[in-house]
Amino acid sequence: MLAEHYGPSASQRLAESIANLGTMGRRAWLGLLGVAVGCAAVVALLNVGHSAALQSRQLFQGMGSELLVATLQRDSETPAMTAQPPQLSAVSPLLISAAPLAMAPVEVRLGAISEALMVTGSTPALATVLDLTADQGRLLSEHDAHNAYLLLGAIAAQQLQASVGDQLQLGRYLFEVIGILGPIGYNPLLPVAVDDGLLIPLQAMRRLSSAPQISAVVALARDSQSVRVAADELAGDLRMQLPGAEVEVQVPQQLLDGMASQARLFSWLLAGLGAIALLVGGVGVMNVMLMSVIERRREIGVRMALGARPVDIAWLFLLEAVILASGGAVLGSMVGVLAAWLFAWLSGWDFALDPWSIPLGVVSALLIGVFFGLQPALAAARLQPVAALRDE
Amino acid sequence: MSAAISLEHVHRSLGGEVILGDVSLSIAHGQSCAIVGPSGSGKSTLLNLIGLLDEPCHGRVLIGGENMTGASGAQRAMMRNRSIGFVFQSFHLLPRLTVLDNVALPLFYRGMPVPRARCAARRQLQLVGLGARMSHRPAELSGGQRQRVAIARALVGEPQLLLADEPTGNLDGEAAADVLELLKALNRERGVTLLLVTHDPAMASHMQRCLNVRAGQVGDAR
Ligand SMILES: Nc1ncnc2c1ncn2[C@@H]1O[C@H](COP(=O)(O)OP(=O)(O)OP(=O)(O)O)[C@@H](O)[C@H]1O
Ligand SMILES: [Mg+2]
Repeated sequence: MLAEHYGPSASQRLAESIANLGTMGRRAWLGLLGVAVGCAAVVALLNVGHSAALQSRQLFQGMGSELLVATLQRDSETPAMTAQPPQLSAVSPLLISAAPLAMAPVEVRLGAISEALMVTGSTPALATVLDLTADQGRLLSEHDAHNAYLLLGAIAAQQLQASVGDQLQLGRYLFEVIGILGPIGYNPLLPVAVDDGLLIPLQAMRRLSSAPQISAVVALARDSQSVRVAADELAGDLRMQLPGAEVEVQVPQQLLDGMASQARLFSWLLAGLGAIALLVGGVGVMNVMLMSVIERRREIGVRMALGARPVDIAWLFLLEAVILASGGAVLGSMVGVLAAWLFAWLSGWDFALDPWSIPLGVVSALLIGVFFGLQPALAAARLQPVAALRDE
Repeated sequence: MSAAISLEHVHRSLGGEVILGDVSLSIAHGQSCAIVGPSGSGKSTLLNLIGLLDEPCHGRVLIGGENMTGASGAQRAMMRNRSIGFVFQSFHLLPRLTVLDNVALPLFYRGMPVPRARCAARRQLQLVGLGARMSHRPAELSGGQRQRVAIARALVGEPQLLLADEPTGNLDGEAAADVLELLKALNRERGVTLLLVTHDPAMASHMQRCLNVRAGQVGDAR
C-alpha cells in the first residue's frame, strides 16, 4: 500500500471545506463573526494604543527633547541666591542657553480684577530656552534688569484683561506690562506654567519677597544626543557655584522613555482585552464545529467507508475551522483598523497604523481557529466507522 | 490462490452480549453469496467485520489473503478504498454533493486528480443507466435511482469485493429486481465477489452460496 499518494490534494480539501461552509449558512457566519469581533478588538486596541503613544510622544517632542531642568534645594545657611545668581553663560559648550527660575505666588491687581498668580523671576535667556515670543509688545532684555517691567502669559493676560502699557499691582509695587507672550502650552517638565503666570526680571523678585530663592535652572542643549553629557556638566557646575545646595538635573528623555514604556504597557493591556474577545470568538468556532460534527456523523461514516482515513476526516473539519477563522481575521482586521482610525479621528489625534497590529491580529485569529478547531476535528477523526454509520 | 475473504475464529460481542462466537469461514474469489438469518442475528455485524468497518474482539479477518488484524485506522481505510465496495440499505449518499461527485468520492480519497476521477465516475454512472442524472442532487432521484448511484460509487474504485446490506430493503418490487439484476451482472461479468445480506429467500436463491447466521454461528444453509 502506497501511503504517499493517498488522500485528496490540498486544493481539493480546501474546495470541499469551503463548499461545506457554504451549506452551513448562517451558523458559519456567526462563527466567523465571533472571530472577526475578537480580531477587530486586537487590531483596533493595538492601533489605539500605538496612536496614543505617538500622540504623547509628539506632545513631548514639541517641548523639546533638548530641554534640561535642574532643581536646586538650599539648606538654611546658604545665602539667598538671587543676591548672587549663578553665572550660567559659560557653563558648558554643549548648552545654547541657561536661565535661573525664582518663583513666588503673588496677588495681582488690575483695576477691579484681582488674581493670585505665580510670578517667575528670570533672565532674558529664558526666552531662548523656552522659545518664548511676544504676541504683543516685546520681551525682556538685559537693560530691563532693574526695571519694574513684566511679561504676561497668554492665559493670565486674558484673565486680567490686561494689555501692553497697563500698570499691574504686584503686592505693594506697580509693574508695567511690556509684552504679552504667545501661548507655549503646558509642559509637565517645567516647574512653571508660563501661560498661566507672569515673568519679571530676576532682580525684581526682591521687591516681592524678602528672600527669593532660585529653585530651578532650565537650559537648552545643542542637540538631543548631548543632553545627558550636558546635564552632568550643568549639575557639576551648579554644585561648584552653589556649595550647600542640592542639585538634581532632569533630562526629559528619561521622562519620555518612561512615558513610552507606559504607553507600551497600555497597548499590551488593551491587546490582552482583545485576546479575551478573540478567545470568546474561538469558543464560538468550536461550538459551530462540534455541532457540525454531530450533525454530520453519518456523512463521516460514509466517507470512512469509502476510504477516508482518520487524518482525512480531521482535515475536513480543521480546514473548515481555519477558513472560518481566516474569514474572521480578514473582516476583523479591516473593521479593527477602521475603528482605530475613527477613534483617533474623534480624539483629534493623528492616526498611525501599528505595523504589528495586523500580523498579530491575523496570526492570533488563525491560531485560535486551529486551537479550537482541533478538538472537534479530532473527535470526528476518532469515530469508529460502524458507530458513525449506525442509524439513530 | 488465497480466498477473497477468510475469517478465522472471529468473535464479536456488543454490549456484553455475544453476537458472533468463533466464526470461521472462507469465500472464494468471484463467488456470489447470500447472508440470511432472523432479524438481530448479527448479519450486519458479520458484514461490517468483513468490510473492515468493525473489528473483531478475537480472531483474524483476511481480505484477499492480507491479514487485517491490528491494522491501523488509516490502513483499514486504504484497504476499504481499494478492495471493497459498499451498498447500504439506506443508500448513504452525501446530500450536498452532486450525483457525479458522490460517485467520484472514493477516487478523490485515493488521490486521483479531479478530472480523471469525474471521468471514471461518469463512465460508471452510464453503466448503471444514470448518464443523464449526473449533475442532480441525490434528493432529486427516486429510491431505485439512488441505489444505482450507490452501486456506481461502490464499483468506481474497481474493488474485488462488493458488500451489500439489504440493498433492496427500501425499494419496491420492480426497482428491487433491477438492482438485483445489476448486482448479479456485475458478479458474472466482472468477477466481483458479492456478499448480499437479505431477508428475501427468493433473492438468496439467486446467489451461488447461502450463509445462515443464527445464535452467534454462521453456517452454509444449503
Ligand atoms: N452498538 C451496539 N451495542 C449493543 N448491541 C448492539 C450494537 N449494535 C448491534 N447490537 C446488537 O447486535 C445484534 C446484531 O445486530 P445486527 O445489526 O448485526 O443484526 P442483523 O442481523 O443485521 O439484523 P437486521 O436483519 O434487523 O438488520 C442485535 O441484537 C443488536 O441489538
Ligand atoms: Mg442488518
